[in-house]
Amino acid sequence: MAKPPVIRVPKPSRSSYQPHRLLSKNTLLLNQVKHFKALEKDFPPEHQTGIAHESILTEAHAAEYIRRMTLKLHKPPAKA
Amino acid sequence: MSAGLDNLKHVVVLMMENRSFDHMLGALHAEDSRINGLTGKETNPDTTNEPAKVLPQAKFQGQLDPDPDHHFPAVHKQLFFGTPGPPAVPSMQGFVQSYFDQQHDVSHSRKIMFYFATDKLPVLHTLARNYAVFNGWFSSIPGPTVCNRAFAHYGTSFGKASLDIFFLKEPFKSIYERLLAAGRTTKLYYFDPSSSTQEVVNLLKNQPQIFATYPQFLEDCKRGLLPDYCFVEPNYSDHPGEGGGELLASDQHPDHDVQEGEVFIATIYNAIRQNPDLWKSTALLITYDEHGGIYDHVPPPACIPDGFHASLDDTNGVPFDFDRLGVRVPTILVSPWIAKRTVVPGPEDPVKGRVFEHASIPATITQHFIGEYDARTVREKAAQTFLDLLTDTMRPDEDCPHFEFD
Repeated sequence: MAKPPVIRVPKPSRSSYQPHRLLSKNTLLLNQVKHFKALEKDFPPEHQTGIAHESILTEAHAAEYIRRMTLKLHKPPAKA
Repeated sequence: MSAGLDNLKHVVVLMMENRSFDHMLGALHAEDSRINGLTGKETNPDTTNEPAKVLPQAKFQGQLDPDPDHHFPAVHKQLFFGTPGPPAVPSMQGFVQSYFDQQHDVSHSRKIMFYFATDKLPVLHTLARNYAVFNGWFSSIPGPTVCNRAFAHYGTSFGKASLDIFFLKEPFKSIYERLLAAGRTTKLYYFDPSSSTQEVVNLLKNQPQIFATYPQFLEDCKRGLLPDYCFVEPNYSDHPGEGGGELLASDQHPDHDVQEGEVFIATIYNAIRQNPDLWKSTALLITYDEHGGIYDHVPPPACIPDGFHASLDDTNGVPFDFDRLGVRVPTILVSPWIAKRTVVPGPEDPVKGRVFEHASIPATITQHFIGEYDARTVREKAAQTFLDLLTDTMRPDEDCPHFEFD
């Protein structure tokens, strides 16, 4: 029985991983962070991330901030 | 109704980031003249007025840094350079000039004309050769990500031509809300919490039940639990994995590695392909949100106005009534019910050509899974749908490629 054609897919080199790339180089991520910051302002203090916004300078910083915010948005603070 | 449509139970949409049709698929014109790609003679003037030619020298990473500007004012220049502006037909002559504005480096600005040589992108090029490639799929707005992605979710951006995401209390429901109200199933799979979703804060606030992560998508494919409709988002950043390791951005947004996006697309394809029941009952649409400031040669056509007017703050004072489309993007529809080497003609064919845009996504999903539905924009109601590309013949397994990773 004939087999389907197999196409090989190369993986990128390890040097492609650049978590310290400056956030300012990617307008999409920069804006994603900006939007989460705007949302966080409306959270009660006990529900905030504790991350100083001015410390978010790289993709890795952004990813950690976005991670914490995403988890909080899935568990919103109880309404008074 | 075709047998392919009759068998269709699931539609999966994968939306990548910021690459133009010619940049990714333009090389394929050389092997199939029906594909409206590049002849190799296309040029744009640089700032010394020398012609910068398209060249098959695109690299996976390190070439489009800084991120080419693709906000409305920059795209306006890319489209209308050397013309009086709308309603003139876009000249497509301002891409190099626009990229020059960012770094004032003539040599660097010419790289915006580079495209990927044949087979440099084995995944995208294989899928284009084996399934249906659209010559006329355009981004919805000559602007950035968020407003374009909004058209895929709502069939409109509610008058936004920018990265503003706060579509709260708007009159038209997202495709996810419509499906849930109709008793259908739907999911939006984002990569992981560190990448999260571009769509959109109000969904996270109001509809957490529709969200799941990419590992869940893979599991749902394996177990045959995909919803009727789902939308998949790539990884938007390089970041550590939850359990350790290094996760590369897979969105292909400059300057992220294009090869990781190829791996991501292939993994999604394989996940569907490897479950026989899912394979025969699923259509996978792969598209890009917008062109990311990168050259394409096809002038975006006019379209039915959206009923909204853009804020002049978003457009740098240029009036914009959502009455013309953004730059063309690579789009491929995958299913075993699609004839090999299908090319859907676009504006180059005045008789059979069809124009698609991101509003075609909710238009198609609504038509197939809901039926009559009036509470949507005139733009979405007028959008072309794409499931008529499914035929009566299911291709045999040995005719459909499979990807393996090095």
